[in-house]
Amino acid sequence: MEPHEFKLTEEGIKAVLPPLEAEIMEHMWKVKVGTAGQVYEYIKQKHPDIRRSTVSILMNRLCEKGLLKRSVEKGRGGMRYVYSITTTREEFEQRVVQKILDALVANFRDATYAYLSKIQK
Amino acid sequence: MIRLILAIEVFLIIKTLGNLGVAVTGATIVALVAIYVWATRHKFGENLIPLNRDEMPWLYEGIEELARKAGVPMPQVYILDDYIPNAYSFGNTIVLSLGLFEVLDKDEIVAVAAHELGHIKNHDTIWFPIITYCRFLMMTTTLMLIVTGNALVKMAAVMLYIAYELARGHFMKTREFLADETALTLLSVPMSLKRALEELKYYEDLRMNVKVSGVPSIEPGIDREKRFTFFIETHPSYEERLLKITFELNNLMGIKQRVR
Repeated sequence: MEPHEFKLTEEGIKAVLPPLEAEIMEHMWKVKVGTAGQVYEYIKQKHPDIRRSTVSILMNRLCEKGLLKRSVEKGRGGMRYVYSITTTREEFEQRVVQKILDALVANFRDATYAYLSKIQK
Repeated sequence: MIRLILAIEVFLIIKTLGNLGVAVTGATIVALVAIYVWATRHKFGENLIPLNRDEMPWLYEGIEELARKAGVPMPQVYILDDYIPNAYSFGNTIVLSLGLFEVLDKDEIVAVAAHELGHIKNHDTIWFPIITYCRFLMMTTTLMLIVTGNALVKMAAVMLYIAYELARGHFMKTREFLADETALTLLSVPMSLKRALEELKYYEDLRMNVKVSGVPSIEPGIDREKRFTFFIETHPSYEERLLKITFELNNLMGIKQRVR
């Protein structure tokens, strides 16, 4: 997953993901594997009006972004999609930092190095 | 109406081109039948998983019960590996996408299956392919008439083609409503069809909003494959269907009597 924008006013991974997608990812990083139904039940506690369609669409958007992967599972309840994480939270954060610093160095090389050396001291 | 248009088209082609017209029309029909056979077989290759009773007894037995009520043989049911909620039918087969199972309740999924069973019961799974393939026949013969006919024939050919498209759109829309009507009579909880359509409409609307407001470059795969619709819409909108279903639910007793 390559972040395309960084919101300076948002906290944590909400700076690089829309709020609901960020909440889903926070949960998925905890549970690692889950169905859209299970995630819906979790998200519903905080957002009682949310619908299953919303969770399904967002989880599939996260698949498109490469943060989740989807596979078909045949279990006791029949066939269903199971989603799993493709990267740990730490790896994701490292990639975000790397991407942002690369962009800063590419556009403001001297200022970026100057600031990095300043904060290193 | 469609039959009349086709009959006039065949008359026109024979009158204008004689034996050559008959030969080309015949060859086109043979080619279209071959394409149909190939397309039907090809469909089985695209991520379809046959549904076994043991895997989802509630669904299998639900459809079995609907088929019994409809007086049709138990259809083959396949699950399509596609996250977008979708359902369709052909021959005596119903296909339900896995996406449906993420957004609908069990009784709503059975309601979607009831709509598809409605198509089977009403023989739409036979008529829809015929009408679709006749469209390609109409395209071929219209083109031939435009190339070879006089001014009057050219004009008649174009008018007939437009009439066919309008009649096809009207026919297919009518059959969608009829399939809903049939489903309502088959379901033990008819309201589940309305709920299913409301949720599917919500899904479609939300997906469109995501597409409009999102950054295009990060969500290329969220789009459903574009359907080629030419200029006549053959599928009624969710709003139209919901309006009809609400009306039909109010008159459910009347429908049951009509179907009997």
